[in-house]
Order: sequence, then C-alpha cells, then structure tokens
Amino acid sequence: MTENQPALTPERQVEAARKAFDEDIERFVRFCDPAQLAQADLETAVAEERAFAEVRARHLGKKSELAAAKKSIGRVAADMRPAFGQLVRSHEEAMVQQVELIEASLKEHIEAQRTARESIDVTMPGRRPRSGHRHPITLLRERIEDIFVALGYAIEDDREIETDFYNFDALNIPDHHPARASQDTFYTTEGFALRTQTSTVQIHAMQRRGVPVRMIAPGRVFRRDTPDPTHNPMFFQVEGLCVDRGITMAHLKGTVAEFLRRMFGPDTVTRFRPSYFPFTEPSAEFDFSCFKCKGSGCRICKNSGWIELGGSGMVHPNVLRAVGVDPQVYSGFAFGLGIDRMCALMYELDDIRLLFENDVRFLEQFE
Amino acid sequence: MLISYNWLRELTNTSLSPQKLRDRLTMVGLAIDAVEMHADDSVLDVEVPSNRPDCLSHVGIAREVTVIERKELVLPEPRSVKMAGRSADLTSVEIKDPDLCPRYAARLVRGVKIGPSPDWLVKRLEAIGQRPINNVADITNYVLHEVGQPLHAFDFHRLSGRRIVVRRAAHGEKLRTLDGLDRELSEDMLVIADAEKAVALAGIMGGEDSEISDRTTDVLIESAYFDPNSVRRTARRLGMDTEASRRFERGADREHVLRAQARCVELICELAGGVATEDAIDVYPQPFVSRVVEFRPERVKGLTSLNVKTDEMVRILTGLGFKSDYFPLEKFTAEVPSWRIDVDQEEDLVEEIARHSGYDQIASELPPSNIPGEYQPTEMKQRSLRRALNACGYDEAITFSFITREEQFELIPALNAEAQTELKNPIIEGATWMRSSLLPGLLNSLRHNLNHGIRDVRLFEIGRVFGVSSDGELPEEPLALTMIATGAAVEENKAQADRELDFFDVKGALEAAVDWMNLSPLVFAGTTAKHLRAGQAAVIKRADGVAIGTLGRLAEAVASAYKFRQPVYVMELDLGSLLSGPERGIQYSPLPRYPSVMRDISLLLNRTVALDEILSAVRNQGVADCRNVMLVGTFAGANIPPDKRSVTLRLEYRSDERTLRDEEVEERHSQLTSSLLQTFGAEQR
Repeated sequence: MTENQPALTPERQVEAARKAFDEDIERFVRFCDPAQLAQADLETAVAEERAFAEVRARHLGKKSELAAAKKSIGRVAADMRPAFGQLVRSHEEAMVQQVELIEASLKEHIEAQRTARESIDVTMPGRRPRSGHRHPITLLRERIEDIFVALGYAIEDDREIETDFYNFDALNIPDHHPARASQDTFYTTEGFALRTQTSTVQIHAMQRRGVPVRMIAPGRVFRRDTPDPTHNPMFFQVEGLCVDRGITMAHLKGTVAEFLRRMFGPDTVTRFRPSYFPFTEPSAEFDFSCFKCKGSGCRICKNSGWIELGGSGMVHPNVLRAVGVDPQVYSGFAFGLGIDRMCALMYELDDIRLLFENDVRFLEQFE
Repeated sequence: MLISYNWLRELTNTSLSPQKLRDRLTMVGLAIDAVEMHADDSVLDVEVPSNRPDCLSHVGIAREVTVIERKELVLPEPRSVKMAGRSADLTSVEIKDPDLCPRYAARLVRGVKIGPSPDWLVKRLEAIGQRPINNVADITNYVLHEVGQPLHAFDFHRLSGRRIVVRRAAHGEKLRTLDGLDRELSEDMLVIADAEKAVALAGIMGGEDSEISDRTTDVLIESAYFDPNSVRRTARRLGMDTEASRRFERGADREHVLRAQARCVELICELAGGVATEDAIDVYPQPFVSRVVEFRPERVKGLTSLNVKTDEMVRILTGLGFKSDYFPLEKFTAEVPSWRIDVDQEEDLVEEIARHSGYDQIASELPPSNIPGEYQPTEMKQRSLRRALNACGYDEAITFSFITREEQFELIPALNAEAQTELKNPIIEGATWMRSSLLPGLLNSLRHNLNHGIRDVRLFEIGRVFGVSSDGELPEEPLALTMIATGAAVEENKAQADRELDFFDVKGALEAAVDWMNLSPLVFAGTTAKHLRAGQAAVIKRADGVAIGTLGRLAEAVASAYKFRQPVYVMELDLGSLLSGPERGIQYSPLPRYPSVMRDISLLLNRTVALDEILSAVRNQGVADCRNVMLVGTFAGANIPPDKRSVTLRLEYRSDERTLRDEEVEERHSQLTSSLLQTFGAEQR
C-alpha cells in the first residue's frame, strides 16, 4: 500500500485482510483433519509449524493489515463505529479461533511424533559395571558373626600353624590319639601342626582375656583328607566358647538353639545327643530339624528329618586347668560346626571342591 | 558295629521294638545309622564313640538297654564241660614284654572235631555281617561279638615246643597272616611266638601256619590284653584293621579275659566236642587296679541343670556297672568297672547320669549376659573392603593354603623372600609348601576359568600367607590382599564390553576400597618386581610412606608359564599393614563464598615425567589463589613425537576475599605456566 493509492475504506480494509488470511491459511487447514495430519511426518510438521507461525504473525500480529484497519477507526463515521468494531471483532475472533485450532492440532501432532520417536525400551539393561560377589563362606561367616555379636560374643582369630600344645595338649587330646597321627594332621618340616580345629583359639583367647569369656572363632582348619565331593583338606569352622560361673548345659542348649533359629528360621528345632569329644565332658552332638522339609524327611536330611551339624559340650576340666582356670569355680560350654558343611547344606552343593576352585560361574551365584 | 536285635533281646528281654531301640540308644549316645531286616532278625548299625570300646559287643549294648528300660542284664548261664588235666602240664606261657602284654591266658581243648557250625550260630554271625568258617573259629568270633573280648584259637600241634612266648618281633622276621599275606615285621611289633617263630600278630591277626584246619584235634585258646598303642601302631604300619585290633587299640577289658575264655571253651566243648583243661595258664604281670571316683550329686545340677534324685543317680551308675558305697551324703565314691576305660573323673559320671536322664530333659535357656559383643577390630573395614571390590566387579576367591613351590613372585615386604615353610606330609601332589603369596593360587583359579572359556575374570582373596620358622619359632602369618584382573571391562547383563581392563582398573578398584575403608589414600610409584612387566609395575605405599605391596601387569615369563595369552594385572599387599595405616581424617571446610575461575593448560613433555611430579610441582609453586589442580587427560601418538606426550591440566583459581578479576587470574596462570615449562623443559600446546 502506498500513500498515493486511494485509501480503502476501513470496512473494505478489514474485508481485504480477511480475504488475504483465508487464502494464506488454506494450505494449513488440512492439519485440522486427523487423517491428513497423520500423513505429515515430524520434519514436515515442524517446518509447517514454523511457516504457520509466520502466517499468524503476518495476519494477526501488530503489523498486520487487520491491526492497520483497526487503527483507521478514526475514519469511520462516529455512528458507524460500534458496527465497525463489531465487524473487526467478529473477523478477528474467527481468525484467531481458526489459527489456534490449527496450531493446537499441529503442536499436539509434533509432540506425539516426538514422544513416539524418543520412547525407550525400558527392559534394556541398567547401566552399571559387572558386580562381583562375596564368597559363600564369607556370607555365612559374616551372618554367624553378626548373630553371635548380638548375643554378646567377641569374635576371635589366631594362628593357622600351631604348636602341639594349642592344637592337642591343651585340648586334652591324649598323646596317642589318632588325630595326632601324621595320617590325619598336616605337619611342617619343623614339626608344627596346621590347626585341625579352631578350638586352638579358645586356648589363646582364655590366655589373653581370662575368664569370664564369650567368644567365637571362625577360621580355616586343615585335615589330611584327599579332596572328593564331600572332603577337602582345608575347610572352615566356627568354634564357640562361653566360660563363667554357673554355666550349665541348659545354657549350651539355649545358645545353640537360638543361633540355629536365627540362622535357619524361627521354626528350627534343635536336638542334642550324647557323644564323645576329648575336650568336653559331658559332650553332645547337635542336630536341627531339616530346614527344607521341616522334619518330614527329604534328600537333604536323608529322610531322617534331622541334620547333624556339630559337636558341643561342657568344657573339659583339663582344658580349663590348662589355661589356669579353676573348674570348681568356673564352668563353660563349647561348640563347633563346619561352615563348609553348612554352606553345602544351605545351597545344596553336590561337590564341595567347588568352594575352592573359584570358577566364576560358581562364585557369581552368591550375593 | 552291627548288633542283632534277637541276640540283644536274649540278653535284655527288651520290650522295645527295633525302631524304638534306635531312638532310645541314639539318645543315650549310641547313634544308630540304620536298622535293616535280616531274615527274621533286625540288625542295628550302631555308631560307637571312640571312647566306648565296651559297647563294641552285644553285652555292652545290652547293658545300656537295661539301664534305659530299668531291667536286668541276662548273661548266658555257665555250662558244665568235660575237664581233664591242667594247662600248665601241657604247655607254657612266657611274656617277655609285660608292658605291651599285661595279661595272657591260655587254655586247651583236646579232641575237638572241626566242622561247620550249627545253623543258629551261622545265622547269628551272618546277621551281623560275619562269614562263618568252622565251628571253633566261629565260636571265637561269636564270643568276641557277645562280650567284646577278642580270642584266638591255635592248632596246638602246630605250635613248636607246644608253648607260647609273647615277645617283640625280631628285625625282619616274617609271618604269613591268616589273610595269606607275607608280613615283614620290625622290632617294635609284638608277636605271639612258639618255641621257634612268630605264630600270630598280637591282638591283630593269627598266622596261617597254626590256623585251625579239618585235621586239628587240639586247640589252644588265647585270651589276652594287649597295650592299645602297641596294637594301633602295628596295625597302622601294616595297613591292617581287624575286629580284634579295633577293640584292643581302643582298650579291652583285662578283667574279662578269663570269663570270655571260659565262655568260649564251654561253647567249643558243646559244639565241637572235646575235653577242656581244668584251668587256664593265666600270666597277669600287670594286674588291673580299679579307679575310684569321688562324686558329689550336686555337680549334676551344677553342670547340666538337671534335677535328678540321688536314688536315680545310683540306679543309673549301678546299672552301668559302677559300684558305689552310697549313703545319703553330699559326696560318695564310685568304683569304675574295668570295662569303662573312659571314666576317671567326676564330670564323666555327670555325663553318665545326664545321658541316661535324657539330654532332652535339660532346659534350654540363654546364659545371663554381662559382656558386650565385639567384632575383630578390623572386621568392619574388611567388610567394606569386600563390598568395595565387589562393587568394582571383583569376585571373592578362596584358595588352598598349600601350593607348589613358586619362586617367581616378589613377596610382600613383611616376608623373607627365600624362606618358605614346607609340609612334611602333603596330601595334594606337589602342594608341599605353605603359600608365601596368594598369587599362585589365584592365578591357578584364573587358569581354571580360562580353560572353561571364561576370559573376563576379576578375583580377589584375603588370607594368611606364611613365612618360615627360625630358631624353633612359629612362622609369621601376615594377612595379605591379592587381586587379579584380565579380559574386558564387562557390564552387567551385556555380552560385549567397550574396552579391555588395564592397570588403572586394578588401581582404581584398590583406591575405591581404600576410600570405603576410610584410610588415607595410597601412593603409587614406578618400580621393578620380578613377576611384573617392566614399565607397568608400581610399588604401593601407605600415606606415611611405608611400602606394602606391588601392582602391575604380569611379566611375560610368568604369564607364559601359566599359558595366559591375554594381559593379566595383579596386585598383592600386606593387608594387616594397610589396615594399621593412617585413617583419613574428616574435617569440615567452609564452602567457597566467591566464584572459581578454571584455566586449562596443555604441556608437551617427555613421557618419563610422571603425573605425580607435575602435580606436586604445581602445588609446590605456591601460586596465590591457585586452589586445585586436576588431570584433564593425556594424549600421545598422531603428530606427537614417540618419546613425548601431552598432558592437559585444569587449574582452579579462587580467593576467599573477593571475586578475582580476569587480569589477576591471567597473571597468576601465566606465571605458573612459564614456571612449569621451565621446570620440565616442556612446550605449551
């Protein structure tokens, strides 16, 4: 529009703006039709949205023909002004309505396309390095330690190569006992023994701590067995000791039963049978009700309903005397059980040699 | 030990079924592994504790049953036999080693007719797994299983000089035993000999020469007591384990020698005919002295918490054969029967009473507690260590403490490199040495995995390693931590990894573990070690400078010995030393009030200049407001000469007083830059 051209009347100006709008917007109307909209891919839709934004600015912006027409209301006769205002508003409303319709439709379409494109497969693996695993012996040892610390026990540890005093003499194992033979016990060329039980730690602990004492000693022990599915020349044991005034077998039973309930579940029943160990008198072996079949008989408990687990008893007076404790004043109980055996039971290992082969396919089955 | 139920019933009149007996005997300490049917009999497989040889017989088990059932033991009635002549007129017994043979009794039965045993006897023996041979041999075997006394029958006429000499074997003396094997004997073995030669291995097995045969007419019945250790030693040495040796080596009843022999003679006369001598030659140089144990009934409650009436205690003890002079006193004495070698003090009697009162009658309660529980001082740190290494992808391994000799590894500083502890009696071939390093065990485990097609392996082990004893002292046993890593940096649930593991994966995992344990960071420096590849080896030091181990890539020579075809990284350190090193102190520092300005710098310098040197050079410059320096990255190759590399650092400048102006930062940074360029002869890139 130039100054020289004869000016249109404001009414005509509005009509012209509307007409121009209708022509420009025609190609966008299809976006209100879902079927046609669906044919537009994301890139087209984004380009059209941009183009449409220009169209909108051109026809409805501050510099649009419509805006110019509105400004020329001064040229309208005063009595016609309400009608003119009405006319402008009705066109403007119609145009805005149509624009917003198209805009919303495009926007929604683009959003939907984007969402679809950016959707992820939530079943893909989480991003993390491969995790390692603790050895099953460690898992059980830590559980056992936690239970006994909660019961007021100290965890003790000591040497693995021992003198005969700690491994045999102090434990009241007679001079000619078969356990001392080199058939059953490893000896170094200097004549020291690889400890055959962690009871050795009881002796060290009583010497270090004196009495009363409450301790358990988990650790490696050695016996000269040829490796086979149920034997290893090295295995892990935990040995417990409680010495105080007035300790009785009732305390032994209560403690072992409490431990086994915490280990194998609150329904676990413990049974004590008389037995023989050189370092305890009276002695008892303990069995617990099978955790698998709850006592009705299965493969694990060899259909007996009971699983043999360990040995125990009242500390032999000779053992107390060996560490300078008066058996007339103090009494105590001791118990011992195999961690490897427990491990084999709990995880149903058919070959305990797996424990020390360190096959990754075995190790990664544990926590 | 197999026990015939029918036989047991004759001795006890038991009213318990075999199944019920199984439970009741188990609960008095004679665990029954199985009850099996044998014809019209049930056979109980009893697990007899090693200190109860008296229960290795039907009478022994029967005695326990009668106490359980409050019944009387029914011993076989003595039978009258035809007797003539005195043994001493026909033969002689001489014991040359009374220490090894405290008692020996010989008695003859003349005019026997050797033949098969009657059916009832065959059935009894077969039920308990014994093979019938002939009537005389079967009777000795029968009496052994009845009363537990091993007996031996010699063909009297095969004994040279018709006499018995109990002596040690001569060096190299030969004897063919009943099992047909020729045995070479030594001087510490006890034999039964005749006038010329050994005719039996005392307490273990007879000789073939004097064996009972169809032609035998006169038999000499031996009933004796041999020293348990002597029998055990000889049996072990010769690899023998017989019904007789099993009983003698655990301890037989030397007071029962004559009664068992009489029972045997009676049965021979009855079943094989013949005339017995009127008496036995009984040489008894070391008579049995019975033990008397003082007993306070209150100790039963004191040790077991059981409330047992004193009358009941006396019933149990008497039933088991103890003689007591009980009056209602606080203390009485019990005379231990000769067959109970396991009882010699009060606590032993408490056990007798407790097991027959029933361990199931003992209450179950926790002792009152007045001591707090505690872990080993480093347990929580070790738990953190394990979890940190797990999080970094390392599986925990446990390997045997004995290994084949390995001399190619540098040991942790706590151990003397040469000396190792050797086993006198290994069980796994070659595994003769106590490990002085955990590496050989872990590398063997790695080889196992590689052989099974697993090539991405990260393992660690925590365990003791062993030094050597000197001057009769025990060897030291420091605790070591060892890690190995090889293959790819695998991600969980993904088949393929983006890259291979290297030195810095192991180093990073170790550093993470040190952080998790809240210890001061470790220091690494280049080193050489015989098992590590030159140029990829580091010594590991605690923050206070104490060297504790090494880390690096396994040397080619070692790797090829294990047949590894991919790089393997290994780390071993003295864990005890690490754990006793300085902790990382935690102290809050105020957050910065003014913004930092970051400046990067890239230096082109010799490859031999270590990052640590550059970083400490920056720190030592003491440039004002320079707060931190961190590595951005290094670059080599492309257009960089092979002996150089580019190192990019990021420096942080910040003041606590005000916001630094650009010019100030620029001035400080260029000062630092030129100083670094000069110090290291570097160029700026």
